[in-house]
Amino acid sequence: MNMEERVLEIMREVFEMEAVTTDVSQKNCARWDSLHHLSLASELEEAFDIDLEPEEIAEMTDFSRVIDMLKSKI
Amino acid sequence: MTTFVFRNHTVEPFLGDDAMTYSGYDDISIVPRDVERYIWFYQVPVNTDSTQLAEELASYRGKLDLVLAEADDHKPFIVFSLVDLYPVKFTGEDVAVADAIMEFNRYVASLAATRPNVKWVDFSEFTRQYELDALVNWKYYLMSQTLLSPKLAHDFKNWWQRIETQLALQRKKCLVLDMDNTLWGGVLGEDGVDGIRLGGDYPGKAFSYWQRALLQLEKNGVILTVCSKNNEADVIEAWQHNPNMVLKREHFSAVRINWQDKVTNLRELAAELNIGLDSMVFIDDNPTERELVRQLLPQVAVPDFPEKPYQLMPFFKQLVENYFRIYTVTSEDRAKTEQYQANALRKADEARFPDMESYLYSLDMELDIVPADEHNLPRIAQMTQKTNQFNLTTHRYTEADVQRFLDNGWRVYCLGVRDRFGDSGITATVFLEPVDDITVNVDSLLLSCRILGKGIEEAFFKTVLNLLRLDGYRKLVAQYLPTVKNGQTADFYDRMGLTCVSTDSDGSKHYEMELREVFEIKNYYNIRVL
Repeated sequence: MNMEERVLEIMREVFEMEAVTTDVSQKNCARWDSLHHLSLASELEEAFDIDLEPEEIAEMTDFSRVIDMLKSKI
Repeated sequence: MTTFVFRNHTVEPFLGDDAMTYSGYDDISIVPRDVERYIWFYQVPVNTDSTQLAEELASYRGKLDLVLAEADDHKPFIVFSLVDLYPVKFTGEDVAVADAIMEFNRYVASLAATRPNVKWVDFSEFTRQYELDALVNWKYYLMSQTLLSPKLAHDFKNWWQRIETQLALQRKKCLVLDMDNTLWGGVLGEDGVDGIRLGGDYPGKAFSYWQRALLQLEKNGVILTVCSKNNEADVIEAWQHNPNMVLKREHFSAVRINWQDKVTNLRELAAELNIGLDSMVFIDDNPTERELVRQLLPQVAVPDFPEKPYQLMPFFKQLVENYFRIYTVTSEDRAKTEQYQANALRKADEARFPDMESYLYSLDMELDIVPADEHNLPRIAQMTQKTNQFNLTTHRYTEADVQRFLDNGWRVYCLGVRDRFGDSGITATVFLEPVDDITVNVDSLLLSCRILGKGIEEAFFKTVLNLLRLDGYRKLVAQYLPTVKNGQTADFYDRMGLTCVSTDSDGSKHYEMELREVFEIKNYYNIRVL
């Protein structure tokens, strides 16, 4: 599974949604609220074995930014 | 099943969203009755001032009492015990916090013993599996008030599922025990009264401990019975002559020692004791017997029996937890509980509140209403960016925006909130745009969810209206703009007495109000206008 697919899978699990697409963002997804955002960050840290700084977590506001952030870390 | 959760930290990552409704942080003002159960999951707050923290913990009991008085007492009410996740002691004698925690936990246990709908969950059962350092992730705590580390969310969910299953299990009344290889090692008919393994060294020692443990169950009101394929005469001899026998005839309320099938025996025992089959737990080392009972009497609980005698002690613990915990209270227990309650009542009188108002009084709330200045401007702009739930219009502004409004003659106030348990800092703001000499438009009004539930929003808003009136304004206009998250404010202006003059197709509401009279504000808020 590539990184994109893995992130989508984590998002589906964290947001408890059937389908999540690559255009997902905090703006267009009601489930992506501040609480689920932190759960998402925590899950990404575990899944990719990385540490995210609070500032970085705050910047991950849509799918492509999440991917950019992960790429810069791995 | 809908559950309402009272909490003082973020616990959503652990209990989940599914059919859960959460109170505001440390908010007991709303106690719904149209839910199926309640959970009280408070955690020990992070506060290095141990005197203040101990006082705050002491107040939880009064809050819990208030909530219990308002909650539907036919619905299950599950209370988590308190665990200190960040114990900081400056001296070895600094036990105020530990005492307050113990006091609360003992109180909850006594509630569970006296109120049929209250059940308590020992949260330390979960936390003690981890090192203290692993329990809190400070990054997430400081970002989101999540005290228990979100990394433990998966583990917590698994643990919680087990606890829920245990909670759902009906408390049992009666334990039905086999004898050979169950109460002792070996077969009485073959090994003889002195040949069975009971007492002395292992494995006999394991069966001694097990029998003593079962005796404690009996003393706590659990009915013990025997259902065993033996010659009754052999058993009577063992009761009379084996010096290591702890459980004797007098400890069993009814016995079936015969060669009849166990299903018939169980039915007879239930009839003789006048209890339901569904209040019986059947203990037998023989898997065939267990399977037979499971198949033919599915109402009877049939746990697997341990393979090795040394597993009897954990097995006993499991039995207690699954079937017999808090199942009944003896008169002795009750006397103890009453004594404890009387003592605690004297001690914690200040922690009790007859009603919500006296609770609010006890908080010594101080509200500072402060005009925007260079010190608080960054915080005000940040709040407009981040506040979602209590936010009437959800306009997002930068510091430069706010500065521009001030330059254009807007009034922007923020609110500092303190109470006897600490300082919440700046937690609300209001933007007032002058429309003409006598009219003001409320452009933004928002409060952090941390301080909801104490009526602060009303006190803040009404004080601001009084200020406007003093300054010669006579008319207020305001809007509610709906978003996916601010539903709780949909009727705020209605409750404040404004008149809704029109509603748009998207649900936006437009309000007006004449500013004629001075609004009265409850006197448990000490309000200062700076």
